[in-house]
Amino acid sequence: MKIQTDVLIIGGGATGVGISRDLALRGIPSVLIEKGDFASGASGRNHGLFHSGGRYAVSDPEAARECIAENRILRKIAPHCIEETDGLFVSLPEDGLDFRDKFLRACEEVGIQTTLLARDEALELEPELNPNLLSAVKVPDGAMDPFTLVIENAKDAEEHGAKILLHTEINSLILDGDKVRGAKVKDLYQGEEYIVEASYIINATGAWANQFLKLAGLHIGMALSKGSMLITNQRLNHSVINRCRPPSDGDIIVPNHTVSILGTTSIRLEEVENFEVTPHEVSLLIQETSKMIPTIQEARFIRAYAGIRPLFQSEEKGNDRAISRGFVLIDHGKRNGIKNLITITGGKLMTYRLMAEKTSDLICKKMGRDGSCSTHLKPLPGATRPTGLKERLKQFSKDRGEILCDCELVQRKEIEEVFGAEKLKDLQDILHRTRLSKGTCQGGFCVYRLLGVLHDLRMAEGDSNKILKGFLEERWKGLRPILWGTALKEEELIESIYKGIFNL
Amino acid sequence: MHYDLIVIGMGLSGLMAAKTAAESGQRVLIVGKGMGSLVLFSNTIDVLGLPPLTGPKTMKMRDSLSQWIKEHPKHPYSQVGLEKIEEAFSSFLSLFPPPYSFQTIANMNCLLPTGAGTLRPTYLIPMTMIGGVSANGGNTLIIGFKGFKDFYTHYVADQLKYRGITLSFPDVLHQDMTATALARLMEKKSFRENIGWEIKKQLHGESRVGFPALLGMHDPILVKEDLEEIVGAKVFEIPILPPSIPGMRIFNRFKEWLIQKGVTFLLGYSVSKATLKGKRCERIEVRHPPVITSYSADRYILATGRFIGGGLKANDEKIFEPIFNLPLSQPPSREGWFRNSFFSDLPHPIYQSGILIDSSFRPVDEREELILENVRVAGSILAHHHSIDEKSREGIEISTGYWAAKRALGV
Repeated sequence: MKIQTDVLIIGGGATGVGISRDLALRGIPSVLIEKGDFASGASGRNHGLFHSGGRYAVSDPEAARECIAENRILRKIAPHCIEETDGLFVSLPEDGLDFRDKFLRACEEVGIQTTLLARDEALELEPELNPNLLSAVKVPDGAMDPFTLVIENAKDAEEHGAKILLHTEINSLILDGDKVRGAKVKDLYQGEEYIVEASYIINATGAWANQFLKLAGLHIGMALSKGSMLITNQRLNHSVINRCRPPSDGDIIVPNHTVSILGTTSIRLEEVENFEVTPHEVSLLIQETSKMIPTIQEARFIRAYAGIRPLFQSEEKGNDRAISRGFVLIDHGKRNGIKNLITITGGKLMTYRLMAEKTSDLICKKMGRDGSCSTHLKPLPGATRPTGLKERLKQFSKDRGEILCDCELVQRKEIEEVFGAEKLKDLQDILHRTRLSKGTCQGGFCVYRLLGVLHDLRMAEGDSNKILKGFLEERWKGLRPILWGTALKEEELIESIYKGIFNL
Repeated sequence: MHYDLIVIGMGLSGLMAAKTAAESGQRVLIVGKGMGSLVLFSNTIDVLGLPPLTGPKTMKMRDSLSQWIKEHPKHPYSQVGLEKIEEAFSSFLSLFPPPYSFQTIANMNCLLPTGAGTLRPTYLIPMTMIGGVSANGGNTLIIGFKGFKDFYTHYVADQLKYRGITLSFPDVLHQDMTATALARLMEKKSFRENIGWEIKKQLHGESRVGFPALLGMHDPILVKEDLEEIVGAKVFEIPILPPSIPGMRIFNRFKEWLIQKGVTFLLGYSVSKATLKGKRCERIEVRHPPVITSYSADRYILATGRFIGGGLKANDEKIFEPIFNLPLSQPPSREGWFRNSFFSDLPHPIYQSGILIDSSFRPVDEREELILENVRVAGSILAHHHSIDEKSREGIEISTGYWAAKRALGV
């Protein structure tokens, strides 16, 4: 089999699907290949902060400008992926007020609107804050749902003619002098191998950029920085809480639906695979974030996880937090002589659309085509969908059915609908597309039920216990670092069920 | 109020201890926050189910235990001793005369199907499950109920190569049926007869019919026999996700017996404090919100379980015992509590942690120094076992509960 297209995009993160949509809206055919599911890398493993740009205002004004511009655009085109919570930058006694004043000036320079709040005003907005705080600065931060954002981009791209192939891996590139003619790819589920030929190839693989470039004998300077996060089992804050000081470990608490996410750490990695959160990182996050919200000391946690920031290094390095979070667009034609290969990396989820726009502009230029970007104007397909807890509860009480996930109230029919709508390949695909297993028990009960339903629907025949064991092993990575207190009780329950009653 | 003996904890080990003391005519109080892991995980009575004790090299349980004790000198079974384990089992079994009795298959472990379609080794089996012993074989039909989300007939049937059907009863069953609600419905004759007739219609010559373990709370044998008569095939129960109806049957039987023997039975209350004087416990405080009541006794038995039961607690640095603050055997730091892999071949080190005891079941520290002379410790709170992997939960509970009480009485 052979597929021919104009542009081949590698990587199904926010950047890749963003490019896919942008090109589709310009009428340029493309094929996107992703070896896992959507948002398997950093797009799906972050704290979900909808940046105002405040975090970069002092250290990286350029990145801050990009953030606030995208902040305004995404509020219009993707309101259903964003909770408009605002954010506070809180100054604690040990921080002093020098940084705050620098912060206020920097925000003004890049155009981020700020409101200075006195101690009591801040406590009224956020009663769980450390009562000793000096002051807080309000900025237009928010919380976002990265997975929905990615799916919605993909859906719109496909509606406009783009082709997206998940669970498909690149085996090799077909090199022809100073060009890449295409790629040999493999469908990881069917095992089928085929060729995708394209005039242009875009490497949007994030932290995996060098793994891909190796296929073309290329390399770029990149630092991989692990950031670990911790999820509480209830929401502790209305708005995003940042520490008003230079970026550091454990300085942010992002609300997300019914939970809060504590972040982050920054640890240099040499490899992209096999990274885990250590108990030490968990203790560090609790110690630091509880300075802002003291009740974190007593909180129950449901999971720890980590993502990798792909940070582009032009030449010299220092502290990873000091490397720009700005993105980089490399035309390998100019750099290494491979004319039709482009790498887009660095950057962050918040600027995915801008990254896609710049990449698509470059493609148009290389193709000698007109066509201007419209992704900043056209809302995503679900933008008119009602959002918010109130709406969801209304919907839920209207047609309540059998519930599979008691923590997150996921209904059986929701699973059946997801199955009807898409071709799903594995358990993780389903878990990505619903809230099932995201709650306190972390799938301890509902994943068994989900597999049971799949058997009932005659959609699973093989060794489901192998899948169940695989899931429990994956789940363990997020749980092992947080097992004490109530979470440890729950773990004894889960072990007693699966190793005990079920003898897996 | 003063008692001869106070048992703290209402799981299987606490109940066994209370029974043993009451049988010797002692004035007994048993107090427990909840019903323990008994009503969560216990279906059959596990004694020791590690491979190679199953499989082709099957051994008599007595020989397995004897070998185990030799190889694991610190294990609770070794503290009890082989003969005494058997004596404890006899005492447990005396509480369950037919029809709802427990039996073994030739004094060996046998394999029973589970709610995940796996086979699981176990030892003493209630009469409602005996038909499921895999060696009995035969064509088997598995029954599920629409709306009951803790058992999936096709999941089980597909793994075991049986046939499965899901029954729906729109008049009675709503969404979100629980095992306890279904067990109660099963006790209604008309309900189970309807089920029986429906199965008979759909039976394709199968000689056995497997149900999730919810065939009635009080008279499961009657439910089973009624179904067998209508369907014309052997009926058996399959252990499922918690809560465990068969575990509740065991609990209810103990409760009824203990209350009848005059034991003071305080379910739903937790012990908030113990007052010590030297190496003796003088009294305990029991929280009945909004009041706190003091009880004293000559002797005490601590049978509060592990983390689920609240017998052990852990903060982010260490594990501790909250009532008497007894010393614990435990790994040096949290990093060492669990292995990197969930399904590691070796058990997680945290499960070896627990209370150390002397030969009289009294708590001691790592240097074997006696901590409390009138307190005995029993059940899963003890150190040096990993009952989940060993499949020894009920065996440890029964034998240590029985012997902690015997030792407290000076036997």
